[in-house]
Amino acid sequence: MRLMRALGPGSVSSFLKIILDVVFVALWVGVGAVGLILLAALLLSFNPDLVGSMAMNVDMNGATLARQWPTVVGGLLVAAVYLLGILVIVARLRQIFATLMAGDPFHPDNVLRLRVIGLALAGLELLRYAVWGASAWLLPGRTKVEPNLSLTAWFSVLVVFVLAEVFREGARLRREAELTI
Amino acid sequence: MPIRVQLDRVLLERRMSLTELADRVGVTIANLSILKTGKARAVRFSTLTALCRELDCQPGDLLSYEPGPSDDVLDDLE
Repeated sequence: MRLMRALGPGSVSSFLKIILDVVFVALWVGVGAVGLILLAALLLSFNPDLVGSMAMNVDMNGATLARQWPTVVGGLLVAAVYLLGILVIVARLRQIFATLMAGDPFHPDNVLRLRVIGLALAGLELLRYAVWGASAWLLPGRTKVEPNLSLTAWFSVLVVFVLAEVFREGARLRREAELTI
Repeated sequence: MPIRVQLDRVLLERRMSLTELADRVGVTIANLSILKTGKARAVRFSTLTALCRELDCQPGDLLSYEPGPSDDVLDDLE
């Protein structure tokens, strides 16, 4: 059976790189879009009358929408933070991938990058709990956020931190190999 | 590092330059400099063999042991 190539054109790595690049660009577009909508929502919050008239267009009670406007802005803020968190992860993954493509995956900087990814994953999970708590408090009975404790997410965090330690040892071995004459 | 590399002294005795030795041994000058300045972490037997062959000496002529603390630079990666 022909083994897949590790690096170069047509390899698994090049395929993953394309995915990372596409996701990275899509995330920037998403962050930009959410940022613009958030800015518009913040500006609108200074003019409740305009929010009320907007509600007519979406067939909703104007007073209700005006009252819930801070929640809408909060939701957009959370979405922006969430996207930024994912962007941080994907950006670090791209940097790690760049070292792999350069033939130096055990660069010492990758240890810190992996730790940042682990922290970002943990942060995103904590954000989910915070959103659930806030929505249960602000919109009682109307929340659709599941209040379950995701073991998979915490397992991912654990895996990333273990990988960071593996990379730390890899970086140490790389340094040792460099100083072996 | 308690292991001292006496490459400087042996080169002087043989009246050989580092560049010439690098050419003969097939190791880059940069790597030989690392070895000469005592920054090397380890020496391959193949490198040691080539050095002894070209310098017509024994490993003991190139290396010596002086008791002292081992400066483990590799643990300070972060």
